[in-house]
Order: sequence, then structure tokens, then C-alpha cells
Amino acid sequence: MTGALTLLAIGFLLIASLVYLLRRRGLEEEDVPWLRDEDSGIPSAHSEDHRKGQLDRIFGCEDWDFIRKSTSSRVQQLFLKERKGIALSWLSRLRREARTGMRLHVARVRASEELDPLAELRLAIDYYAFQAKCGLIAAILLLGGPMALRNMVGQAESLSNNLRGMLEAALKPDAFSQRTRVR
Amino acid sequence: MNGKPMERRPNQLTSMAVEDGLRDLRNRTLAKLDGDFARLVYLASTRDYNTGRYAHDGLSFRFTESVAERVLAEAHREVFASLALSPLKILVTQLEQYIRSGCARPDELLASWRELEPFRILAPEHDDPITVKLFASNIRVALAIVKESWRANQLL
Repeated sequence: MTGALTLLAIGFLLIASLVYLLRRRGLEEEDVPWLRDEDSGIPSAHSEDHRKGQLDRIFGCEDWDFIRKSTSSRVQQLFLKERKGIALSWLSRLRREARTGMRLHVARVRASEELDPLAELRLAIDYYAFQAKCGLIAAILLLGGPMALRNMVGQAESLSNNLRGMLEAALKPDAFSQRTRVR
Repeated sequence: MNGKPMERRPNQLTSMAVEDGLRDLRNRTLAKLDGDFARLVYLASTRDYNTGRYAHDGLSFRFTESVAERVLAEAHREVFASLALSPLKILVTQLEQYIRSGCARPDELLASWRELEPFRILAPEHDDPITVKLFASNIRVALAIVKESWRANQLL
């Protein structure tokens, strides 16, 4: 009985969140690099290489190994402080991009007459799970100290891929226009 | 097929001119500079602080002003991208090479770069903000490393 009530409460909470998102007015234009491409919104091979290079640099161990072996503790502290700042900026951008993508999606959904509640619910769950994961990584970075940055390239890459998958599903022009044609 | 030479559109001609211009810039100017860091400083200096537009008399004379501008912008983006995402070890080597090239006294350069952070204007316009931040951050760390090794060499 208690389990059913809990599930009901979670379901109600998710539906309330979805209604809140749908009713939220004012589409805030933010800078989303991979939405600039008018054709698809999917990043090119060049930007994909750039993204991987950037992730390796921010979260990889190569630079830290060099710093640890050949510099003083003062430089090591400076490096870790700098990297922590960059990692937090990267995370914050990722969250901003997801928020903008979601707002674009909600704006499209509002104009649609063929709303698929189940798909929307799934997307809302993905979105909040993504935001929670971002928050968790930010908390690890802040609480765990700079050392927590080491070996985080895998998590960062999976987070970035999650966002891409979510935005591609939410904003794919073909699939969406067929499903949400305004009559 | 019909015996006539293939006609080229203006866009094709411009992109060919940009390719030629890039080759010209690499061979005549950039090749003479000692390392990518010196190249980056040089390319950033061809951009007007007020307008953000690139200018180069030699390239404008050989091609056109707009081709010269595109060539410089492209070369700037290339050199910046290669340095900004390169390992810190390489960046430190490049910075040391630039300091050794004798553009200023090492102690003066290190002090003014740490104080004024002029390297912030080395990034091309419209580049990815995180990459630009990463570059500035890496330069701050590289400066600290170079300063330490320079002091150690002074004491020897």
C-alpha cells in the first residue's frame, strides 16, 4: 500500500513538473553551439574531435602526471585550482545547453496538437536525471577537492553523450515535424 | 567534355585564393617565426583591437583585402586550436621557446604576463568559450612553471 502511494506520488510529481515546463513562458535564447547548424543540430566530425580533445584536456590525467612529476607543490595547487574552475564551467555550460534544448522542445510541443504524453514523460525523466547527474559531478568536484578530477574523463564523456542523445531525440526536425504537425 | 574549360564560380575562386594566401603566409611569414607561440602572438597582432578585423599589407597587395582578412583569421584559428588543446608539457616548451627568442627580458616578460595577462587577447574571435578559458588557464600554469625553472637556473 505504502509502495503504491510512493509510486503515485512520484508519478504526480513528474506530471506536475511536465505541466510546469509546458506552462513556463518566455523562451530564453542561450548559446548552444551544436544547435547553430540549421540543417540538423548534430555536431560535425570536426566539432566532435574538438569536443573529445577538450574533454581529454580538462578531465584527463596526462597534464596532471606531468605537473605532479616535474613541479613544486605550489604549481600543483595552482593547476588543480585552475582545472577545477574549468571543469565547473564545462559542467555549467552542459546544463545550460540542456535547459535551452528543453525549452526549445517545450516551445515546439506547445504548438503541437499530437502530443505523445508517454514520450514527453520519458524525456522529462531523462532531463531531470541528466541535471541530477550534472549536480552530482559538480558536488564531487566541490566536496571531493581537486583530486576528484582525476580519471573523470569517462564520466564527463558519458554525460556529454547523454546530452547529445537527449537533444537529438528532442529536437530532431524530421521525426518531430511528422509527429507534431500543426493543423 | 565539350572542349570548353570548366568555369569557376566566384566562391570557388575566393576559396582558392584563400588556400593560396594561406600557403603564402605559412611559407613566407610564419615559417620564419620560432614556434607556434610566436606565430600565435604574431597572428593576434595583425587584428585591429578596435574593429576585430585582420590586416596585412603584403597579403592585401598580392591578393585582396578581404582574402587577406580571411587568410589571417583562418591561420589564427588553426594555430590557436593546436596550442589551446595541446598537452601542458608542449605549451610550456612553446612558451620557453618564445621567451628565449629574445622579444623581452625573461624576468620582465614573466612579471608583466602574470600581472596584465595580455595572453587573453591571443584567442581568435568566436572561438569556443571553454577552449578560450582553458587556454588562459594553461598559460597561467605554464607561466608559473617557467618562472620556477627560470629562477632555479638563475641560482645555479
